[in-house]
Amino acid sequence: METILTIFIIFIAGATGTYFLGKLSGILRSVIFITTLLVTSWLFFTAVSPDVIIEFEIMGILMSWGLTPLAYVFAIIVFGLAIIIGIYAIKAMEGQRSLNFFFANFLLSVMAMFGILISNDLISFFIFWEIMSWSSYFMVVLNHKDVQRSGITYIIFCVIGAYAMMMAIMIIYSYSGSVMIGDFISNFHAFSLGMKWLLPILLLIGFASKAALMPLHVWAPGAYSNSPMSYTALFSGALSKMGVYGMVIVMIMIVQQIPDGYWIKEVIAWLGGITSAIGTLWAIKQDDAKRMLAYSSVAQLGYIIVGVAIGTPLAMMSGLFLAVMHGIFKSTLFMVVGAIERQTGTSNFTEVTGLIRKMPWTFLAALMSIIALAGIPPLGGFIGKWMLYESLMGSNHYLLIIVIFFSSTAAFLYCYKFLFGFFLGQEEKEWSHVKEAPAMMVVPMIIMAILTFVLGVFPGLILKPINDGMQFLGYVSTDNRFWEMSTIFNDWGNQVVMEPIVYTIFAIFLFFLIFLTLKGYKNTRYVTTKDISSSGEIPREDENLTFITGFMQPFFRAVAPVMKRQIDKYYTSFGKGLEALFDFTRRIYTGNGQTYALYFVIFVILLLMFRDSLF
Amino acid sequence: MVGSPVLLIAIPLLAAFLIPLFGMVWKESVRIVPGLVLAYLTYLSASLYIEVINTDTIVEIIAGWRPPWGINLVFSPLTGFLTTIMTFMGFIVWLYSYRFKRNVEFEAAKKYFIFLMLLVAGSVGIVITGDIFNQFVFIEIVGISAYALTAFYTGRDSAEAAFKYLIMGSLSASALLIAIIIIYSQLGTLNMAEIAANIDNMNPYYRIIAMIFFIIGIGVEAEIFPLNGWAPDAYTEAPGPVGGAFSGIVAKAGIYAMVRMMFTLFDIAGPMKILIVIGLITLIVAETSALRQEKLKRMLAYSSIGQMGLVLVAFGMGTKAGVFAALFLMLNHAITKPMLFLSGSFLTFNTTEKYIKQITGMAKKMPVVSIIFVLGALAITGFPPFSGFWSKMAFLSAAADENLLFIMATILIISIFEVVYYFRVINRLFFFEYDDKISVEPHKPGFNGMIALFVLAFIVLMIGFYPSSVTGFIDLAADDLLNTHQYIDKVLQLGQTIIQ
Repeated sequence: METILTIFIIFIAGATGTYFLGKLSGILRSVIFITTLLVTSWLFFTAVSPDVIIEFEIMGILMSWGLTPLAYVFAIIVFGLAIIIGIYAIKAMEGQRSLNFFFANFLLSVMAMFGILISNDLISFFIFWEIMSWSSYFMVVLNHKDVQRSGITYIIFCVIGAYAMMMAIMIIYSYSGSVMIGDFISNFHAFSLGMKWLLPILLLIGFASKAALMPLHVWAPGAYSNSPMSYTALFSGALSKMGVYGMVIVMIMIVQQIPDGYWIKEVIAWLGGITSAIGTLWAIKQDDAKRMLAYSSVAQLGYIIVGVAIGTPLAMMSGLFLAVMHGIFKSTLFMVVGAIERQTGTSNFTEVTGLIRKMPWTFLAALMSIIALAGIPPLGGFIGKWMLYESLMGSNHYLLIIVIFFSSTAAFLYCYKFLFGFFLGQEEKEWSHVKEAPAMMVVPMIIMAILTFVLGVFPGLILKPINDGMQFLGYVSTDNRFWEMSTIFNDWGNQVVMEPIVYTIFAIFLFFLIFLTLKGYKNTRYVTTKDISSSGEIPREDENLTFITGFMQPFFRAVAPVMKRQIDKYYTSFGKGLEALFDFTRRIYTGNGQTYALYFVIFVILLLMFRDSLF
Repeated sequence: MVGSPVLLIAIPLLAAFLIPLFGMVWKESVRIVPGLVLAYLTYLSASLYIEVINTDTIVEIIAGWRPPWGINLVFSPLTGFLTTIMTFMGFIVWLYSYRFKRNVEFEAAKKYFIFLMLLVAGSVGIVITGDIFNQFVFIEIVGISAYALTAFYTGRDSAEAAFKYLIMGSLSASALLIAIIIIYSQLGTLNMAEIAANIDNMNPYYRIIAMIFFIIGIGVEAEIFPLNGWAPDAYTEAPGPVGGAFSGIVAKAGIYAMVRMMFTLFDIAGPMKILIVIGLITLIVAETSALRQEKLKRMLAYSSIGQMGLVLVAFGMGTKAGVFAALFLMLNHAITKPMLFLSGSFLTFNTTEKYIKQITGMAKKMPVVSIIFVLGALAITGFPPFSGFWSKMAFLSAAADENLLFIMATILIISIFEVVYYFRVINRLFFFEYDDKISVEPHKPGFNGMIALFVLAFIVLMIGFYPSSVTGFIDLAADDLLNTHQYIDKVLQLGQTIIQ
């Protein structure tokens, strides 16, 4: 039998087994769960080759499954994360509700992502996309928290994206008679000009809604923070990358072919830049680590989208590399929060402090991923960001660099807040009983942390599959080594060349030092004790006086005008308006027989009046 | 031949009259006989349907009067398809309500099953008859039994709902009668095939007037917008399985009558603006009204109306793909909506008001029924890999073929609302804590009811995973509906061969 089919069957059997046999014993459930993940990944990495293509027909539509080099890059993320997070989840989920459902659904999500990646046609792509949507939806509401609000918001944005995609797919099918992605790309020139604009935009809406791009990102904070952390790690790490995967295909293969398609690229790139800036600002403002990381995810995906949208070889490479890196470090951070929440019962910075002695290994994992996230060498995030800046400079997007640079720098603030809030600071008596998380949770986190380091020093490990993927996308390079376009790689792409970086950083540092000193001389104002306004007041009992409360207030005063206009509010008021309108339409059905009889008469009259235009 | 199509009408009618007599002998037979009858009808219809597909359309002549003078029944791939669904759904409804009504006393059960029989007989009659006056009679039979079933609980509200239904039903009946009179006065015949053959000879002015009155007359059963005021009340007040029967059987018969009239009787080729407009308005009004409902059955009723609108839009495109999509939607709706009604009435069994908030957290108490409800909700909102997805896809592809982008966009936007209200209920069921103060006492579902639900769930999954299992049948049915000339020839030639 075909390996791809076998993998699907194992997934489905595993999910069913986890659900039903899990009712018998928890150990059996964990064993089946992990075995399913291991066996499928093993089969995938050893036996699935890009040459095998399965074709079949449903309702007269030809469909096909097969692995492309581009999908392989994303499949590495999916399977790699699924195994590590899966091991973590077994211990992390202990004692929580609906475990059978959680683990079965986890497998379904992974299966759906695998399905998306091996779909060569739009219909099966869409089917797996929707399976991913509803299975992730059930995870979002699984904790019974904020169900009607964040859950419904998530599903609304899911279906907005899905329906936009569906509309595009059906138009493609009826115009060209084929739903193959390859056929669509090669026949794209035959569409009319209007369609050439409509189709990519519809598809991009679909993908952007999963990748949480700016106007469609509203669901992300609620959904990420309300699902169990063991799932959020996969959600933010792998699931959101499916949106990126779709965007890569559309941006490179389709938008390239539109006359003046340049504009779509610019708009998407700018949306990505704005997403990263706004997401970062909101992340800094959060007091809850889950929400902070959720906003941070939105922001980081913004970078990735910038890279993908700019679309020069180096930008694409940086986008894909950042996608992999973000999958690793953001999952680790979510796992860290999950561990802290499990050990202390809360994920709020203002409550938990000084855990560094209590949870040293968790701290180590957090530290490594924070460094990677902030883009400090020699960890992985740095390389991606470096390439991104380099490509932006190469393609003359100087304004965009400023935006990205701003959000990248501002990201330090929340990184710092995360580390400082949880791990550093005073040790409170309240948390003296806290112990390190169990080994089954710590080990996956540490493995991930090591991965960020390994990929930071030897990026070639992941750059080579990315290289193949880019060749599949149609990029041409003389000796097929795209990394050579960047100044920081050696010939083999497996080592980072540090000299230019060190010099540059040193130069920038020096420059800022001089600048700040000069500026500081003029503006420094020395305060006296009289200026401390709160000294005379006695704080109330309920006032939270943890040092992390109201962190970075001056910063927020500076950016307040930007943050005042919150897009969620517009959506909410729009939704409320719609509901009020529908409450009115509901009253058309008055429940009075006489009104209905009147409607009958009016209907007869209307039909008679408009008979010429209606028939 | 296994039997004659006429048995499909005659047996349930006869059974309806005999049930009280049986009941005098053995009280339990009141419950059992309808089941046997409906099982036999399903078998008969299915085997006739397979025969029709393999050989040729059966045209049955009643009482030896040849068409176009006498009444004839047409059992074709289209009518057979619908009849099989209807009789099968009748059987499922019986299966569900067999023990469900055990706590009801004998008299009530007797009435319930008599009217259920009449409902099935009438609906099947609407579909297979080849005579418009005969169709009118069957519509009246369906109407009367539906009024009675709506008023089954003999409370103030159900009586009021039945009375509203009655008002609308009688208004529509008079409109239908006017249409029939116009046609008879113009063409001098009541036979559908004969009318269709001579429709071009009709004064176009009268033709449009007749068509308008037809639409109004049938529109009440087909639940089109301004005429469906009765539906939410009737679905809410009638017993749960009756809601399933209304959406699975009666509404389908209404839609069939309307479509047969448009496609065959008046022989309109190409897109039908009227159906698209009416369908879209029905869809929009119903789905938006459903968003704010507080009662579960009422919400389902609006959803049902909305789906009927969608079916009409699909038919209105007038193309092969459109008709295919419409029939596929009808099939899925006929399976899924009763599934939702049946599982929903298990969930709200012990409530009087059937409020959605009363089923908060019920999944803990009734997991299987809740899962089936979710399956139905996912299927009807068109999530793959469940049945509704394929029909929605067929619909969109048909619309894209005709370049109706505006309609595609409208329907997809409306679908978002549909998703929202169904997911709100799913959330309440599964992701809220069970609360003694709000939620009702769970009711232990009966064995037979569970079998009925499992059968429906199985079909939903089967179509979902393997749509090709039904698309062949739908394809034939769509061809049959579009081929007006074949229909005319089949019926009229039969009349001529008998003359010779």
